Amino acid sequence: MDAIVKSRADDSLIGKRIPKMDAPEKASGKTRYIQDINIPGQLYAKILRSTEAHAKILSIDTSAAKALRGVHAVITAADVPWQRPIGVAKDHLPLKRDRVRSPRDEIAAVAADSEDIAEAALKLIKVKYERLPTVKNVEDALKAGAPILHDEDLAWTRPDGKTEVLHKRSGDNVAMTFDYAQGDVAQGEADSDVVIEDVFWLHYVTHCCLGVSGVIAEFDAGDNLLLYSNTQVPFLHKREFAEQLGIDPGRIRIIQPPIGGGFGSKLDIYPFEPIAIFLAKATKRPVKLIFTREEEFVASPTRQPVLLKLKSGCRKDGTLTFRTVETLHDNGAYTSWGATTPFVMMQTFSSLYRVANCDYRTRAIYTNNPYAGSFRGYGNLQATFAVEAHMDKLAEAIGMDSLEFRLKNAQHQGETTPQGMQFKSCGFQECLRTAAARSDYQAKQRSNREKWHDKNPIKRGAGIASMLHVGGGAKIYPSDGCGTILKIDDFAHVTLITGASEIGQGSETVLSQLVCEELGLPLSVVTVVNNDTDITPWDVGVHASRTTFIAGNSAIGAARKAKTKIFAAAAEKFERAADSLDLHGGFVIDKNTGDKIIELGKLIRSLHFSDKADLVMTSFYYEPPSAHQDRNFKGDVSAAYAWATQVAEIEIDTQTGIVRLLKVTGAHDVGRVLNRLGIEGQIEGGIVMGQGYALTENLIVEDNVVRNPNFRDYKLVTAPEIPDMDISFIETMDGEGPQGAKGVGEAPAICVAAAVANAIYNATGVRIYALPFTPENVYRALHGQSKAPIWKPLT
Amino acid sequence: MSEVNNYAAPRSLDEAADILRAGNVTILAGGTDVMPQMKAGKLTLQPTLMNIQRIAELRGIAQAGGVVRIGALTTITEILNSALVRERFNALWQACDHFASDQLRNVATIGGNICNASPAGDTLVPLLALDAKVVLAGKPNGALATRAMPLADFFVGPGRTKRAATELVSAVELPLPPAGSVSEFFKFGTRPALDIAMISIGLGAVLDGKTLRNVRVAFGAVAPTPIRAPQTEAALEGKALVDAAIEAAVTAAACDIHPISDFRASDWYRRELVHNILQRMLVHVRDR
Amino acid sequence: MSATVDITFKLNGVERRVAVAAQMSALDMLRDQIGLTGTKYACGEGECGACTIRVDGLTVNSCLMFAVDCDGRDVVTIEGLVTSPIGEALRKSFTKNGAVQCGFCTPGLMVQASHLLEQHPHADRSEIQRGIEGNLCRCTGYKKIVDAIVDAEINAA
Repeated sequence: MDAIVKSRADDSLIGKRIPKMDAPEKASGKTRYIQDINIPGQLYAKILRSTEAHAKILSIDTSAAKALRGVHAVITAADVPWQRPIGVAKDHLPLKRDRVRSPRDEIAAVAADSEDIAEAALKLIKVKYERLPTVKNVEDALKAGAPILHDEDLAWTRPDGKTEVLHKRSGDNVAMTFDYAQGDVAQGEADSDVVIEDVFWLHYVTHCCLGVSGVIAEFDAGDNLLLYSNTQVPFLHKREFAEQLGIDPGRIRIIQPPIGGGFGSKLDIYPFEPIAIFLAKATKRPVKLIFTREEEFVASPTRQPVLLKLKSGCRKDGTLTFRTVETLHDNGAYTSWGATTPFVMMQTFSSLYRVANCDYRTRAIYTNNPYAGSFRGYGNLQATFAVEAHMDKLAEAIGMDSLEFRLKNAQHQGETTPQGMQFKSCGFQECLRTAAARSDYQAKQRSNREKWHDKNPIKRGAGIASMLHVGGGAKIYPSDGCGTILKIDDFAHVTLITGASEIGQGSETVLSQLVCEELGLPLSVVTVVNNDTDITPWDVGVHASRTTFIAGNSAIGAARKAKTKIFAAAAEKFERAADSLDLHGGFVIDKNTGDKIIELGKLIRSLHFSDKADLVMTSFYYEPPSAHQDRNFKGDVSAAYAWATQVAEIEIDTQTGIVRLLKVTGAHDVGRVLNRLGIEGQIEGGIVMGQGYALTENLIVEDNVVRNPNFRDYKLVTAPEIPDMDISFIETMDGEGPQGAKGVGEAPAICVAAAVANAIYNATGVRIYALPFTPENVYRALHGQSKAPIWKPLT
Repeated sequence: MSEVNNYAAPRSLDEAADILRAGNVTILAGGTDVMPQMKAGKLTLQPTLMNIQRIAELRGIAQAGGVVRIGALTTITEILNSALVRERFNALWQACDHFASDQLRNVATIGGNICNASPAGDTLVPLLALDAKVVLAGKPNGALATRAMPLADFFVGPGRTKRAATELVSAVELPLPPAGSVSEFFKFGTRPALDIAMISIGLGAVLDGKTLRNVRVAFGAVAPTPIRAPQTEAALEGKALVDAAIEAAVTAAACDIHPISDFRASDWYRRELVHNILQRMLVHVRDR
Repeated sequence: MSATVDITFKLNGVERRVAVAAQMSALDMLRDQIGLTGTKYACGEGECGACTIRVDGLTVNSCLMFAVDCDGRDVVTIEGLVTSPIGEALRKSFTKNGAVQCGFCTPGLMVQASHLLEQHPHADRSEIQRGIEGNLCRCTGYKKIVDAIVDAEINAA
């Protein structure tokens, strides 16, 4: 995109507080989420899940279930011999055939006249298991003699009858490995005056979208599939489901009802979706499958848990010299996006602060635990936790102020990192200075340290942490683009058809805002269509904080093409130069004098009902100017990068271990604020999500089983617990971003835990290396009753 | 799926007692524990579902003589709104203020909380510290009769009480505390409410200068039922609240409690909390 | 055969007669039997408040309430709330203040807020936060929800 459009001061929509366009309907209770949609003739589906963590399935007897009145179908793997493995590694069959590998595994499914009948039918299904030894954790998985979880080829029968192996058997439990290197870490270590090494444990948490997972599958008379799905990647899923069914992707239509939360949970295909499709095929009826909350906890992907070893060094003048990182990822029983979080983690280790030498290695290891998916931040919370702990520790070791140390190593605009990331706009320095100044960080830091040995058991701490994340998409798929179709009708009403989905973040409002800014029209004239793959153009999906940037530029592109057409028509009609015209307030105006020339609707009608007989319809596909990483993970993977610094202020009761997050002062480099109301909401929500990750949320997985699959014992942050939030926006006006904006969806959640960890140290002199900072965990750490995470050597 | 064949909504205790005598009844008051327990498989609905919420005799807070009677159907919100409770039974009021959420307080009843008999039951700990008696009503011999017992004797185990299947809890009675009484309640949690107690402590006593008399100490979530703490009480009875006495009391508390380790907390941590928080509460009482 | 009970109650101002299964929850009755889907299922255990309705003026978690218990009572759901002055005021303030993102928690929150404002017309931020402690939101971080309730409070005054 060329130079940023100069906004017309007061009239401009950019930077204003714009209420979300669908808020009035949502606030009236009229919005129909997938749970609220009912198709005439629909059946209700329920899934039978394994009661074993690792076992052979000897037999499944569905006869009693099938005989139950009101049951229309009961299926197992035997009924779908053609089912195709799903997931990024294709190691995951929707209905398990002869082996279960985790306690959520799908064994059978029922479609019935009501949910109650379907539940009753599940209870009638008899499964015989032969227990196999279980793998409880990564250590177990790597021991000599450990059961190998994927020791058989996983094949499927193609539509043409041929067998194809999609996942090759393995002799060990290593699902994936990642290795990255820049510079020479040995040299870096030799050059260091201080070297520190620590092991960190980042725990299981889960998305807890308020709307539970669900899908409705329906085949029409022509055997075309209509799927009501909350997928965040409708076009990718369209293709995958087509492969599942062996049909032409053109015969699949995905409609996305309004979603009750995404946060990355809907970026992969999970067994329940193909299962609903199988049932719809078998019964020739629409099939609706909605999770219970317990099922949501048990069967949804988690955030990737990570055991992480970091060695960092610096010189006594404060220059960072190297980072050596090794991580072990519990991959769970099947591979989902959690295994690919290293893509993001290595960016943080290699490029958050300037460091010439970096060695990064991840092993993702199969166990019988839940598998991890993508979750807001995508590995960056885990990586930042470690990096920012070391930034504090290194600064302390050389006797340098913790802010000064960070400023010394924070990159500037124009730098390119050894990994190849080009920081064309970069507000890192300003983020650090702003957050520190507004929170009075340095003074508080000093004063809190002085009170370490005070008698008062209630202590205060201030901690700082920054984050780096992609802000202009991420080119990990063949295309990182988004298509827009724009129509301006005879009454200057705009229909904006975008491939970008809305997942509660307000994309439809921001896209409308950008288009209206281009066209000089009020938001009230825009209708957005964004939820039907039969209508909308391709977009890779809602992830990597990319939607504002990429869908925004796509929408602007389509709007500018419309402007070109409009100006050409007006130029001809009024015998003026096209470049002397502009659009403002619903009129075509003289750019220099501001005089109104013609009302836009009138111009469009005159174009329509003239001998030209043309309508204003345009389309635009925007592919960001980023690069695919090479085989060594090097490359400018995003069109822009974003930074944030947060200072967390806490109060800690050393007699109970309770940590209260009092305030978060954040400075976010967002390129430019588009919808001020929307972006504040994203950041506030992200901070509270980060607070949950740091302090309250803990998915307890013990002996492969989720022990707290409910809100009573999995604690989301509630309203009385939120911190004060002081948020500043650093507007670095990214040259490529729409109106200068960059992505922000994930950023605010990423460095909260890291800042809180530093705050706990500032309050007590005790550094805790494992999350979460729940009261007992903190209390034990303060009273010498806990051990830091241990790295067991791998073979 | 359990089947309910018969739904009843009696309007008098007499009617309710008759239905109970017929047997196989699930009692529905506020119901806030019924659905979750059904889902968890801990409760199977009986063939008769009896909704007692229309029984007027079970409502209301009334003071007669030196006794305050709180009807079993009194909701937590109603207790919170009672000036009498706020002024005279601070520990109970505090427990209600930290109970669940507004939506649950509006519906949950004190009778239900008592019958549910959770070792961590929020209202149970202050009731014990306030010398509560539970009143039961039934028709053992054809005529409506009541009996009462100290609440401390009512709990048998987690979720189990001495209520007979043909009885209803009709009220809880609290003696009006004498002048100079104090009562305190503390529930450990990270949230103001909406938390199952990891430990909770109730304290009731007459404060005579800095000396405590008629000391009642109760603990929740550190034993199979909410309990009184006789050794802690003995360590405080008639003692001035000097540091040494407080130290003796928290040491004695360790003998009164029998916490378990579960996924919510370890027994070691619960003990540490009881020690630290009881100490804090006693200092607070002394220094107020 | 499960017992069916005939109940009569006021729903959003209109008297209704419904035959419900004895063990059915009020939430299921509203959503599945009557077709008012504004009230949401999000946990079924009274921990999240998404199912909040008003019964005889008080807010309750409809997932925990038995449908039969609606007999003779005055029930208001989000659909009824928004036709009232306080509901319309809340709808406007929730919209204006950015309190709605995915919107799934919104109906329950608005119903709870309507009760809160009636009980405490001068609640400060901290009292509002306590007042909505039984309503979970995963998107907004609650700050703008509190802003919206404060805004509605000011406008109602």
